[in-house]
Amino acid sequence: MSLLEVNHLTQQFGGLKAVSDVSLTIEDGELIALIGPNGAGKTTLFNMLTGVNVPTSGEIKMATDKGQVLINGKRTDQVAKLGMSRTFQNIRLFAELSVLDNIKIAMTSNTRENFVETMLRLPSFYKKESAIEDEARKLLTDFQLIRYARSTAGSLPYGLQRRVEIVRALATKPRLLFLDEPAAGMNPEETADLTAVISRIQKDYGVTVVLIEHDMSLVMNLAQRIYVLDHGSLIASGTPAEIKQNPAVVAAYLGGEAVAEG
Amino acid sequence: MKFNLKANLIWLGIMVAGFVLIDAAEFTGMVNTFIENAMVTVGINIILATGLNLIIGFAGQFSLGHAGFMAIGAYATGIMTQNMATPLGFWLSVAVGVVIAIIAAIIIGVPTLRLRGDYLAIATMGAAEIIRVVINNLKITNGPAGIFNIPQFATWPVVYVIMCITTIMIANFIHSRAGRAVMSVREDEIAASAMGINTTKWKLAAFVFGAATAAIGGSLHASYLQTIAPGDFGIMNSISLLIIVVLGGTGSLTGTVVAAGVLGVIDTVLQNFGTLRMVIYALALILIMVFKPSGLLGRWELSFKRVGTSKKKEVVDQ
Repeated sequence: MSLLEVNHLTQQFGGLKAVSDVSLTIEDGELIALIGPNGAGKTTLFNMLTGVNVPTSGEIKMATDKGQVLINGKRTDQVAKLGMSRTFQNIRLFAELSVLDNIKIAMTSNTRENFVETMLRLPSFYKKESAIEDEARKLLTDFQLIRYARSTAGSLPYGLQRRVEIVRALATKPRLLFLDEPAAGMNPEETADLTAVISRIQKDYGVTVVLIEHDMSLVMNLAQRIYVLDHGSLIASGTPAEIKQNPAVVAAYLGGEAVAEG
Repeated sequence: MKFNLKANLIWLGIMVAGFVLIDAAEFTGMVNTFIENAMVTVGINIILATGLNLIIGFAGQFSLGHAGFMAIGAYATGIMTQNMATPLGFWLSVAVGVVIAIIAAIIIGVPTLRLRGDYLAIATMGAAEIIRVVINNLKITNGPAGIFNIPQFATWPVVYVIMCITTIMIANFIHSRAGRAVMSVREDEIAASAMGINTTKWKLAAFVFGAATAAIGGSLHASYLQTIAPGDFGIMNSISLLIIVVLGGTGSLTGTVVAAGVLGVIDTVLQNFGTLRMVIYALALILIMVFKPSGLLGRWELSFKRVGTSKKKEVVDQ
Protein backbone atom coordinates (compact mmCIF):
# COMPACT_ATOMS: atom_id res chain seq x y z
CA MET A 1 0.00 0.00 0.00
CA SER A 2 1.37 3.39 -0.96
CA LEU A 3 1.72 6.01 1.74
CA LEU A 4 -0.31 8.48 -0.30
CA GLU A 5 -2.59 7.68 -3.19
CA VAL A 6 -4.11 10.49 -5.24
CA ASN A 7 -6.78 9.67 -7.79
CA HIS A 8 -8.14 12.04 -10.45
CA LEU A 9 -7.78 15.14 -8.31
CA THR A 10 -9.30 18.33 -9.74
CA GLN A 11 -9.57 21.83 -8.33
CA GLN A 12 -11.73 24.35 -10.09
CA PHE A 13 -11.76 28.06 -9.15
CA GLY A 14 -14.76 29.45 -11.03
CA GLY A 15 -13.89 28.98 -14.69
CA LEU A 16 -10.27 28.16 -14.01
CA LYS A 17 -9.11 24.58 -13.61
CA ALA A 18 -6.05 25.11 -11.42
CA VAL A 19 -5.41 21.38 -11.11
CA SER A 20 -7.06 18.92 -13.43
CA ASP A 21 -7.27 15.16 -13.12
CA VAL A 22 -3.99 14.57 -11.31
CA SER A 23 -3.22 11.05 -10.12
CA LEU A 24 -0.04 10.12 -8.31
CA THR A 25 1.31 7.80 -5.66
CA ILE A 26 3.92 8.37 -2.99
CA GLU A 27 5.67 5.41 -1.42
CA ASP A 28 6.88 5.28 2.17
CA GLY A 29 10.38 6.72 2.58
CA GLU A 30 10.62 8.36 -0.83
CA LEU A 31 11.90 11.85 -1.61
CA ILE A 32 9.77 13.27 -4.36
CA ALA A 33 9.94 16.59 -6.18
CA LEU A 34 7.03 18.35 -7.79
CA ILE A 35 8.18 20.78 -10.46
CA GLY A 36 6.59 22.91 -13.13
CA PRO A 37 6.56 26.46 -14.46
CA ASN A 38 4.98 29.30 -12.44
CA GLY A 39 1.22 28.97 -12.21
CA ALA A 40 1.28 25.25 -13.02
CA GLY A 41 -0.83 24.45 -9.94
CA LYS A 42 1.86 23.05 -7.66
CA THR A 43 0.89 24.99 -4.56
CA THR A 44 -2.81 24.39 -5.25
CA LEU A 45 -2.06 20.67 -5.34
CA PHE A 46 -0.16 20.99 -2.03
CA ASN A 47 -3.04 22.88 -0.50
CA MET A 48 -5.47 20.13 -1.47
CA LEU A 49 -3.21 17.40 -0.16
CA THR A 50 -2.80 19.13 3.22
CA GLY A 51 -6.45 19.99 3.65
CA VAL A 52 -6.18 23.76 3.11
CA ASN A 53 -8.33 23.58 -0.04
CA VAL A 54 -11.18 21.13 -0.58
CA PRO A 55 -10.79 19.42 -3.98
CA THR A 56 -13.59 19.85 -6.51
CA SER A 57 -13.39 16.16 -7.32
CA GLY A 58 -11.10 13.18 -6.93
CA GLU A 59 -9.78 11.47 -3.84
CA ILE A 60 -6.70 11.52 -1.63
CA LYS A 61 -6.01 8.45 0.47
CA MET A 62 -3.31 8.15 3.07
CA ALA A 63 -2.04 5.00 4.73
CA THR A 64 -2.15 5.29 8.53
CA ASP A 65 -1.91 2.88 11.44
CA LYS A 66 -5.65 2.34 11.12
CA GLY A 67 -5.53 1.53 7.42
CA GLN A 68 -6.24 3.81 4.48
CA VAL A 69 -7.94 7.10 5.34
CA LEU A 70 -9.67 9.43 2.93
CA ILE A 71 -8.10 12.88 3.35
CA ASN A 72 -10.32 15.16 1.31
CA GLY A 73 -13.02 16.86 3.31
CA LYS A 74 -10.90 16.77 6.46
CA ARG A 75 -9.75 19.96 8.18
CA THR A 76 -6.08 20.92 7.99
CA ASP A 77 -5.48 20.11 11.65
CA GLN A 78 -7.08 16.67 11.28
CA VAL A 79 -4.89 15.97 8.26
CA ALA A 80 -1.87 17.14 10.26
CA LYS A 81 -2.75 14.76 13.09
CA LEU A 82 -2.80 11.87 10.61
CA GLY A 83 0.89 12.51 10.01
CA MET A 84 1.11 15.14 7.31
CA SER A 85 3.06 18.32 7.88
CA ARG A 86 4.16 21.19 5.68
CA THR A 87 6.04 24.43 5.24
CA PHE A 88 4.81 27.41 3.27
CA GLN A 89 6.02 29.20 0.16
CA ASN A 90 6.02 32.49 2.05
CA ILE A 91 7.35 31.54 5.48
CA ARG A 92 4.65 31.32 8.11
CA LEU A 93 6.39 31.18 11.47
CA PHE A 94 4.78 32.29 14.71
CA ALA A 95 6.89 35.39 14.22
CA GLU A 96 6.55 37.06 17.62
CA LEU A 97 7.15 33.90 19.64
CA SER A 98 10.52 32.37 20.43
CA VAL A 99 12.03 29.67 18.23
CA LEU A 100 11.62 27.23 21.12
CA ASP A 101 7.93 28.06 21.46
CA ASN A 102 7.46 27.60 17.72
CA ILE A 103 8.73 24.05 18.07
CA LYS A 104 6.74 23.40 21.25
CA ILE A 105 3.55 24.53 19.53
CA ALA A 106 4.10 21.95 16.81
CA MET A 107 4.23 19.32 19.56
CA THR A 108 0.79 20.30 20.88
CA SER A 109 -1.17 17.49 19.27
CA ASN A 110 1.32 14.83 20.40
CA THR A 111 1.18 15.84 24.06
CA ARG A 112 -1.51 15.89 26.71
CA GLU A 113 -1.91 18.16 29.71
CA ASN A 114 -5.22 18.15 31.48
CA PHE A 115 -6.95 21.21 32.90
CA VAL A 116 -6.56 20.30 36.56
CA GLU A 117 -2.82 19.66 36.45
CA THR A 118 -2.30 22.83 34.39
CA MET A 119 -4.25 25.00 36.84
CA LEU A 120 -2.84 23.48 40.03
CA ARG A 121 0.69 23.06 38.64
CA LEU A 122 0.85 19.47 39.85
CA PRO A 123 4.20 17.65 39.63
CA SER A 124 2.85 15.75 36.63
CA PHE A 125 2.48 19.09 34.82
CA TYR A 126 6.13 20.01 35.35
CA LYS A 127 7.17 16.54 34.28
CA LYS A 128 5.27 16.82 31.01
CA GLU A 129 6.49 20.37 30.40
CA SER A 130 10.11 19.42 30.90
CA ALA A 131 9.67 16.42 28.60
CA ILE A 132 8.31 18.78 25.92
CA GLU A 133 11.15 21.22 26.56
CA ASP A 134 13.80 18.50 26.31
CA GLU A 135 12.39 17.10 23.10
CA ALA A 136 12.15 20.55 21.50
CA ARG A 137 15.72 21.39 22.53
CA LYS A 138 16.96 18.09 21.18
CA LEU A 139 15.41 18.83 17.79
CA LEU A 140 16.91 22.33 17.78
CA THR A 141 20.32 20.96 18.73
CA ASP A 142 20.05 18.38 15.97
CA PHE A 143 19.60 21.11 13.37
CA GLN A 144 22.12 23.59 14.83
CA LEU A 145 19.40 26.00 15.94
CA ILE A 146 19.80 25.68 19.69
CA ARG A 147 21.64 28.96 20.09
CA TYR A 148 18.59 30.75 18.67
CA ALA A 149 16.16 28.92 21.01
CA ARG A 150 15.20 32.10 22.85
CA SER A 151 15.34 34.44 19.85
CA THR A 152 12.12 35.77 18.42
CA ALA A 153 11.44 33.64 15.33
CA GLY A 154 10.64 36.64 13.13
CA SER A 155 13.96 38.32 13.92
CA LEU A 156 16.12 35.55 12.42
CA PRO A 157 17.72 35.85 8.98
CA TYR A 158 15.78 34.40 6.09
CA GLY A 159 17.71 31.15 5.71
CA LEU A 160 17.39 30.36 9.41
CA GLN A 161 13.67 31.12 9.38
CA ARG A 162 13.29 28.53 6.63
CA ARG A 163 15.18 26.02 8.69
CA VAL A 164 13.10 26.75 11.79
CA GLU A 165 9.96 26.27 9.72
CA ILE A 166 11.18 22.89 8.48
CA VAL A 167 12.17 21.78 12.00
CA ARG A 168 8.80 22.99 13.28
CA ALA A 169 7.06 20.84 10.66
CA LEU A 170 9.25 17.93 11.72
CA ALA A 171 8.29 18.45 15.37
CA THR A 172 4.73 17.31 14.62
CA LYS A 173 6.27 13.85 14.00
CA PRO A 174 4.96 13.53 10.45
CA ARG A 175 5.20 10.52 8.17
CA LEU A 176 4.87 12.77 5.17
CA LEU A 177 6.42 16.22 4.92
CA PHE A 178 5.56 18.76 2.23
CA LEU A 179 8.07 21.53 1.55
CA ASP A 180 6.81 24.39 -0.61
CA GLU A 181 9.80 26.03 -2.33
CA PRO A 182 12.23 25.61 0.56
CA ALA A 183 15.16 27.10 -1.39
CA ALA A 184 13.33 30.17 -2.69
CA GLY A 185 15.42 33.30 -2.18
CA MET A 186 18.41 31.45 -0.75
CA ASN A 187 22.03 31.98 -1.70
CA PRO A 188 24.09 28.94 -2.87
CA GLU A 189 25.58 28.43 0.58
CA GLU A 190 22.17 28.41 2.24
CA THR A 191 20.87 26.05 -0.44
CA ALA A 192 23.69 23.62 0.26
CA ASP A 193 22.83 23.67 3.97
CA LEU A 194 19.20 23.12 3.10
CA THR A 195 20.01 20.15 0.88
CA ALA A 196 21.79 18.53 3.80
CA VAL A 197 18.86 19.24 6.13
CA ILE A 198 16.31 17.73 3.76
CA SER A 199 18.28 14.60 3.09
CA ARG A 200 18.82 14.13 6.84
CA ILE A 201 15.08 14.39 7.43
CA GLN A 202 14.52 11.61 4.92
CA LYS A 203 17.37 9.37 6.08
CA ASP A 204 17.74 9.94 9.84
CA TYR A 205 14.11 10.65 10.68
CA GLY A 206 12.57 8.28 8.13
CA VAL A 207 10.14 10.90 6.89
CA THR A 208 8.79 10.80 3.36
CA VAL A 209 9.43 14.19 1.74
CA VAL A 210 7.61 15.88 -1.12
CA LEU A 211 9.00 19.20 -2.26
CA ILE A 212 8.06 21.88 -4.72
CA GLU A 213 11.18 23.56 -6.03
CA HIS A 214 12.44 25.72 -8.86
CA ASP A 215 16.10 25.25 -8.03
CA MET A 216 16.89 22.42 -10.46
CA SER A 217 20.30 21.57 -9.01
CA LEU A 218 18.63 20.92 -5.65
CA VAL A 219 15.85 18.88 -7.26
CA MET A 220 18.22 16.76 -9.35
CA ASN A 221 20.51 16.20 -6.35
CA LEU A 222 17.81 15.15 -3.91
CA ALA A 223 14.78 13.73 -5.63
CA GLN A 224 14.36 10.05 -6.30
CA ARG A 225 11.30 10.65 -8.43
CA ILE A 226 9.93 13.78 -10.03
CA TYR A 227 6.40 14.73 -11.02
CA VAL A 228 6.03 17.54 -13.54
CA LEU A 229 2.94 19.72 -13.56
CA ASP A 230 2.00 22.16 -16.33
CA HIS A 231 -1.26 24.09 -16.72
CA GLY A 232 -2.79 22.02 -13.94
CA SER A 233 -2.09 18.64 -15.52
CA LEU A 234 0.57 16.07 -14.84
CA ILE A 235 2.74 15.93 -17.95
CA ALA A 236 5.54 13.63 -16.84
CA SER A 237 6.92 11.56 -14.01
CA GLY A 238 10.09 9.58 -13.51
CA THR A 239 13.63 9.66 -12.21
CA PRO A 240 15.68 12.87 -12.54
CA ALA A 241 17.55 11.40 -15.51
CA GLU A 242 14.33 10.53 -17.32
CA ILE A 243 12.78 13.92 -16.63
CA LYS A 244 15.80 15.76 -18.05
CA GLN A 245 15.31 13.93 -21.35
CA ASN A 246 11.51 14.21 -21.47
CA PRO A 247 10.43 16.34 -24.49
CA ALA A 248 7.13 17.39 -22.88
CA VAL A 249 9.02 18.78 -19.87
CA VAL A 250 11.49 20.64 -22.04
CA ALA A 251 8.57 22.09 -24.00
CA ALA A 252 6.79 23.19 -20.84
CA TYR A 253 9.87 25.04 -19.62
CA LEU A 254 11.24 26.40 -22.90
CA GLY A 255 8.05 26.87 -24.93
CA GLY A 256 6.18 24.91 -27.60
CA GLU A 257 8.80 25.19 -30.35
CA ALA A 258 11.13 22.91 -28.45
CA VAL A 259 8.79 20.03 -29.21
CA ALA A 260 8.69 20.89 -32.92
CA GLU A 261 12.45 21.03 -33.02
CA GLY A 262 12.94 17.95 -30.87
CA MET B 1 11.78 22.55 38.90
CA LYS B 2 13.85 24.14 41.61
CA PHE B 3 13.58 27.57 40.01
CA ASN B 4 9.85 27.12 39.53
CA LEU B 5 9.47 26.53 43.24
CA LYS B 6 11.54 29.61 44.00
CA ALA B 7 9.60 31.77 41.55
CA ASN B 8 6.27 30.51 42.88
CA LEU B 9 7.36 31.28 46.45
CA ILE B 10 8.31 34.83 45.44
CA TRP B 11 4.87 35.31 43.88
CA LEU B 12 3.19 33.94 46.99
CA GLY B 13 5.29 36.33 49.08
CA ILE B 14 4.23 39.32 46.98
CA MET B 15 0.56 38.38 47.28
CA VAL B 16 0.73 37.91 51.04
CA ALA B 17 2.70 41.15 51.40
CA GLY B 18 0.04 43.00 49.38
CA PHE B 19 -2.66 41.61 51.60
CA VAL B 20 -0.84 42.50 54.81
CA LEU B 21 -0.12 46.01 53.51
CA ILE B 22 -3.76 46.72 52.70
CA ASP B 23 -4.85 45.12 55.96
CA ALA B 24 -2.45 47.33 57.93
CA ALA B 25 -3.66 50.42 56.08
CA GLU B 26 -7.26 49.46 56.89
CA PHE B 27 -6.39 48.78 60.50
CA THR B 28 -4.63 52.10 61.08
CA GLY B 29 -7.54 53.92 59.46
CA MET B 30 -5.56 55.26 56.52
CA VAL B 31 -8.15 53.88 54.14
CA ASN B 32 -11.52 55.60 54.14
CA THR B 33 -14.61 54.24 52.42
CA PHE B 34 -13.83 56.22 49.30
CA ILE B 35 -10.33 54.80 48.89
CA GLU B 36 -11.47 51.29 49.75
CA ASN B 37 -14.14 51.58 47.09
CA ALA B 38 -11.49 52.64 44.57
CA MET B 39 -9.21 49.76 45.56
CA VAL B 40 -11.94 47.14 45.27
CA THR B 41 -12.89 48.58 41.88
CA VAL B 42 -9.29 48.17 40.77
CA GLY B 43 -9.31 44.57 42.01
CA ILE B 44 -12.51 43.75 40.13
CA ASN B 45 -11.19 45.50 37.03
CA ILE B 46 -8.05 43.34 37.19
CA ILE B 47 -10.21 40.19 37.29
CA LEU B 48 -12.26 41.39 34.33
CA ALA B 49 -9.39 42.80 32.27
CA THR B 50 -7.00 39.85 32.62
CA GLY B 51 -9.77 37.63 31.23
CA LEU B 52 -10.30 40.07 28.37
CA ASN B 53 -6.56 40.18 27.75
CA LEU B 54 -6.57 36.39 27.43
CA ILE B 55 -9.14 36.74 24.63
CA ILE B 56 -7.72 39.84 22.91
CA GLY B 57 -4.02 39.81 23.71
CA PHE B 58 -3.21 36.11 23.77
CA ALA B 59 -5.81 34.50 21.50
CA GLY B 60 -5.95 37.58 19.24
CA GLN B 61 -9.75 37.61 19.11
CA PHE B 62 -11.07 41.14 19.30
CA SER B 63 -14.06 40.83 21.63
CA LEU B 64 -16.17 43.77 22.75
CA GLY B 65 -18.70 41.72 24.67
CA HIS B 66 -17.04 41.37 28.04
CA ALA B 67 -19.66 43.41 29.93
CA GLY B 68 -22.33 40.92 28.83
CA PHE B 69 -20.61 38.05 30.63
CA MET B 70 -20.01 40.33 33.61
CA ALA B 71 -23.75 41.02 33.70
CA ILE B 72 -24.51 37.29 33.81
CA GLY B 73 -22.34 36.85 36.91
CA ALA B 74 -23.69 40.00 38.54
CA TYR B 75 -27.32 39.01 38.09
CA ALA B 76 -26.70 35.43 39.19
CA THR B 77 -25.32 36.77 42.46
CA GLY B 78 -27.90 39.58 42.74
CA ILE B 79 -30.84 37.24 42.35
CA MET B 80 -29.54 34.24 44.28
CA THR B 81 -28.13 36.00 47.33
CA GLN B 82 -31.39 37.83 47.90
CA ASN B 83 -33.09 34.49 48.39
CA MET B 84 -30.17 32.83 50.10
CA ALA B 85 -28.29 35.47 52.07
CA THR B 86 -25.50 33.26 53.38
CA PRO B 87 -21.85 32.94 52.35
CA LEU B 88 -22.76 29.54 50.91
CA GLY B 89 -25.45 31.20 48.82
CA PHE B 90 -22.93 33.75 47.59
CA TRP B 91 -20.35 31.17 46.51
CA LEU B 92 -23.09 29.08 44.94
CA SER B 93 -24.24 32.13 42.99
CA VAL B 94 -20.68 32.73 41.76
CA ALA B 95 -20.55 29.13 40.52
CA VAL B 96 -23.97 29.42 38.84
CA GLY B 97 -22.89 32.68 37.18
CA VAL B 98 -19.73 31.02 35.85
CA VAL B 99 -21.67 28.04 34.49
CA ILE B 100 -24.24 30.24 32.73
CA ALA B 101 -21.48 32.47 31.35
CA ILE B 102 -19.64 29.42 29.99
CA ILE B 103 -22.80 28.18 28.28
CA ALA B 104 -23.47 31.66 26.87
CA ALA B 105 -19.87 31.97 25.69
CA ILE B 106 -20.11 28.67 23.83
CA ILE B 107 -23.40 29.68 22.21
CA ILE B 108 -21.99 33.08 21.22
CA GLY B 109 -18.48 31.88 20.43
CA VAL B 110 -19.18 28.99 18.07
CA PRO B 111 -20.75 31.14 15.34
CA THR B 112 -18.92 34.44 15.95
CA LEU B 113 -15.34 33.21 16.37
CA ARG B 114 -15.29 32.38 12.67
CA LEU B 115 -15.22 36.12 12.10
CA ARG B 116 -12.07 38.20 12.17
CA GLY B 117 -11.02 41.56 13.57
CA ASP B 118 -13.62 44.28 13.44
CA TYR B 119 -16.40 41.90 12.35
CA LEU B 120 -15.85 39.82 15.47
CA ALA B 121 -15.82 42.99 17.60
CA ILE B 122 -19.23 44.03 16.22
CA ALA B 123 -20.69 40.54 16.60
CA THR B 124 -19.58 40.17 20.23
CA MET B 125 -20.75 43.70 20.97
CA GLY B 126 -24.16 42.72 19.59
CA ALA B 127 -24.19 39.54 21.66
CA ALA B 128 -23.47 41.50 24.84
CA GLU B 129 -26.26 43.94 23.95
CA ILE B 130 -28.64 40.99 23.56
CA ILE B 131 -27.72 39.80 27.07
CA ARG B 132 -28.32 43.30 28.42
CA VAL B 133 -31.67 43.69 26.63
CA VAL B 134 -32.83 40.28 27.86
CA ILE B 135 -31.95 41.28 31.43
CA ASN B 136 -33.74 44.59 30.87
CA ASN B 137 -36.96 42.81 29.97
CA LEU B 138 -37.09 39.86 32.37
CA LYS B 139 -39.20 39.88 35.52
CA ILE B 140 -36.71 37.90 37.60
CA THR B 141 -34.03 40.58 36.99
CA ASN B 142 -36.47 43.35 37.97
CA GLY B 143 -36.15 44.98 34.53
CA PRO B 144 -34.57 48.41 34.00
CA ALA B 145 -34.83 49.29 37.71
CA GLY B 146 -32.26 46.65 38.62
CA ILE B 147 -31.72 44.92 41.94
CA PHE B 148 -31.15 46.71 45.27
CA ASN B 149 -30.09 45.60 48.71
CA ILE B 150 -27.88 42.76 47.54
CA PRO B 151 -26.19 41.38 50.67
CA GLN B 152 -22.50 42.26 50.77
CA PHE B 153 -20.29 39.21 50.90
CA ALA B 154 -17.58 40.51 48.60
CA THR B 155 -15.55 42.52 51.07
CA TRP B 156 -12.08 43.67 50.07
CA PRO B 157 -10.26 40.53 51.33
CA VAL B 158 -12.61 38.35 49.27
CA VAL B 159 -12.00 40.45 46.16
CA TYR B 160 -8.26 40.42 46.78
CA VAL B 161 -8.05 36.64 47.15
CA ILE B 162 -10.28 35.98 44.13
CA MET B 163 -8.22 38.45 42.12
CA CYS B 164 -5.05 36.52 42.98
CA ILE B 165 -6.66 33.18 42.17
CA THR B 166 -8.09 34.20 38.78
CA THR B 167 -4.83 35.90 37.77
CA ILE B 168 -2.85 32.78 38.72
CA MET B 169 -5.28 30.60 36.78
CA ILE B 170 -4.97 32.73 33.66
CA ALA B 171 -1.18 32.87 33.98
CA ASN B 172 -1.08 29.08 34.42
CA PHE B 173 -3.27 28.66 31.37
CA ILE B 174 -0.99 30.87 29.28
CA HIS B 175 2.22 29.18 30.38
CA SER B 176 1.17 25.73 29.27
CA ARG B 177 0.46 23.68 26.19
CA ALA B 178 -2.97 25.33 26.03
CA GLY B 179 -1.48 28.82 26.16
CA ARG B 180 1.00 28.06 23.40
CA ALA B 181 -1.79 26.71 21.21
CA VAL B 182 -3.88 29.82 21.85
CA MET B 183 -0.97 32.13 20.99
CA SER B 184 -0.22 30.22 17.79
CA VAL B 185 -3.77 31.02 16.66
CA ARG B 186 -3.06 34.70 17.26
CA GLU B 187 0.23 34.54 15.34
CA ASP B 188 -0.90 32.63 12.24
CA GLU B 189 -4.09 30.59 11.99
CA ILE B 190 -3.14 28.78 8.79
CA ALA B 191 0.25 27.73 10.11
CA ALA B 192 -1.31 26.72 13.43
CA SER B 193 -3.81 24.40 11.79
CA ALA B 194 -1.07 22.96 9.58
CA MET B 195 0.73 22.06 12.82
CA GLY B 196 -2.30 20.04 13.95
CA ILE B 197 -3.87 22.71 16.13
CA ASN B 198 -7.65 22.85 16.09
CA THR B 199 -7.91 26.64 15.87
CA THR B 200 -11.67 26.80 16.51
CA LYS B 201 -11.33 24.74 19.68
CA TRP B 202 -8.53 26.86 21.15
CA LYS B 203 -10.16 30.17 20.24
CA LEU B 204 -13.29 28.96 21.98
CA ALA B 205 -11.30 27.76 24.99
CA ALA B 206 -9.78 31.22 25.50
CA PHE B 207 -13.13 32.91 24.91
CA VAL B 208 -14.94 30.66 27.41
CA PHE B 209 -12.19 31.03 30.00
CA GLY B 210 -12.30 34.82 29.66
CA ALA B 211 -16.09 34.79 29.93
CA ALA B 212 -15.95 32.68 33.10
CA THR B 213 -13.61 35.14 34.83
CA ALA B 214 -15.83 38.00 33.66
CA ALA B 215 -18.76 36.33 35.41
CA ILE B 216 -16.70 36.06 38.61
CA GLY B 217 -15.85 39.76 38.35
CA GLY B 218 -19.53 40.53 37.81
CA SER B 219 -20.55 38.56 40.91
CA LEU B 220 -18.04 40.46 43.06
CA HIS B 221 -19.17 43.76 41.53
CA ALA B 222 -22.81 43.04 42.41
CA SER B 223 -22.04 41.84 45.90
CA TYR B 224 -19.69 44.70 46.75
CA LEU B 225 -21.78 47.58 45.36
CA GLN B 226 -25.05 45.92 46.47
CA THR B 227 -26.91 47.55 43.60
CA ILE B 228 -26.99 46.57 39.94
CA ALA B 229 -28.96 47.73 36.92
CA PRO B 230 -28.80 46.71 33.24
CA GLY B 231 -27.26 50.10 32.44
CA ASP B 232 -24.11 49.13 34.37
CA PHE B 233 -23.23 46.55 31.74
CA GLY B 234 -23.43 48.50 28.51
CA ILE B 235 -20.94 48.84 25.71
CA MET B 236 -19.09 51.58 27.62
CA ASN B 237 -18.12 49.04 30.27
CA SER B 238 -16.71 46.69 27.67
CA ILE B 239 -14.77 49.59 26.24
CA SER B 240 -13.37 50.74 29.56
CA LEU B 241 -12.10 47.19 30.10
CA LEU B 242 -10.64 47.26 26.61
CA ILE B 243 -8.87 50.51 27.54
CA ILE B 244 -7.20 48.78 30.49
CA VAL B 245 -6.03 45.91 28.28
CA VAL B 246 -4.71 48.12 25.48
CA LEU B 247 -3.12 50.58 27.88
CA GLY B 248 -1.27 47.88 29.77
CA GLY B 249 -0.22 46.09 26.62
CA THR B 250 -2.19 43.41 24.79
CA GLY B 251 -0.52 40.15 25.63
CA SER B 252 0.92 41.21 29.00
CA LEU B 253 -0.85 40.19 32.21
CA THR B 254 1.55 42.34 34.22
CA GLY B 255 0.59 45.25 31.99
CA THR B 256 -3.10 44.71 32.66
CA VAL B 257 -2.57 44.70 36.42
CA VAL B 258 -0.41 47.85 36.23
CA ALA B 259 -2.85 49.64 33.89
CA ALA B 260 -5.84 48.81 36.10
CA GLY B 261 -3.91 50.25 39.04
CA VAL B 262 -2.74 53.37 37.18
CA LEU B 263 -6.21 54.11 35.82
CA GLY B 264 -7.67 53.54 39.29
CA VAL B 265 -5.27 56.10 40.77
CA ILE B 266 -5.90 58.63 37.96
CA ASP B 267 -9.63 58.16 38.37
CA THR B 268 -9.46 58.65 42.14
CA VAL B 269 -7.24 61.73 41.95
CA LEU B 270 -9.40 63.28 39.25
CA GLN B 271 -12.57 62.99 41.33
CA ASN B 272 -11.80 66.52 42.58
CA PHE B 273 -11.80 68.01 39.10
CA GLY B 274 -15.52 67.52 38.44
CA THR B 275 -16.47 67.71 34.79
CA LEU B 276 -12.87 68.22 33.70
CA ARG B 277 -12.22 64.66 34.87
CA MET B 278 -13.19 62.90 31.65
CA VAL B 279 -11.19 65.40 29.58
CA ILE B 280 -8.01 64.83 31.57
CA TYR B 281 -8.63 61.07 31.60
CA ALA B 282 -8.99 61.05 27.82
CA LEU B 283 -5.92 63.22 27.43
CA ALA B 284 -3.87 60.83 29.55
CA LEU B 285 -4.99 57.94 27.36
CA ILE B 286 -4.12 59.79 24.16
CA LEU B 287 -0.69 60.71 25.47
CA ILE B 288 0.11 57.13 26.47
CA MET B 289 -1.08 55.81 23.12
CA VAL B 290 0.98 58.39 21.21
CA PHE B 291 4.19 57.79 23.13
CA LYS B 292 3.76 54.08 23.88
CA PRO B 293 1.48 52.57 21.22
CA SER B 294 2.11 48.99 22.35
CA GLY B 295 0.80 49.83 25.82
CA LEU B 296 2.66 50.59 29.01
CA LEU B 297 4.48 47.25 29.09
CA GLY B 298 4.05 45.91 25.55
CA ARG B 299 4.35 42.15 25.86
CA TRP B 300 6.74 42.27 28.80
CA GLU B 301 5.91 40.07 31.78
CA LEU B 302 7.28 40.23 35.28
CA SER B 303 8.93 36.86 35.82
CA PHE B 304 11.20 35.53 38.51
CA LYS B 305 11.89 32.31 36.69
CA ARG B 306 13.74 34.03 33.85
CA VAL B 307 15.99 35.91 36.25
CA GLY B 308 17.01 32.65 37.86
CA THR B 309 17.54 30.48 34.79
CA SER B 310 18.52 32.68 31.87
CA LYS B 311 22.25 32.92 32.51
CA LYS B 312 22.78 29.24 33.23
CA LYS B 313 20.75 27.97 30.29
CA GLU B 314 22.32 30.28 27.69
CA VAL B 315 25.78 29.00 28.54
CA VAL B 316 24.61 25.44 27.93
CA ASP B 317 23.00 26.54 24.66
CA GLN B 318 26.22 27.85 23.23
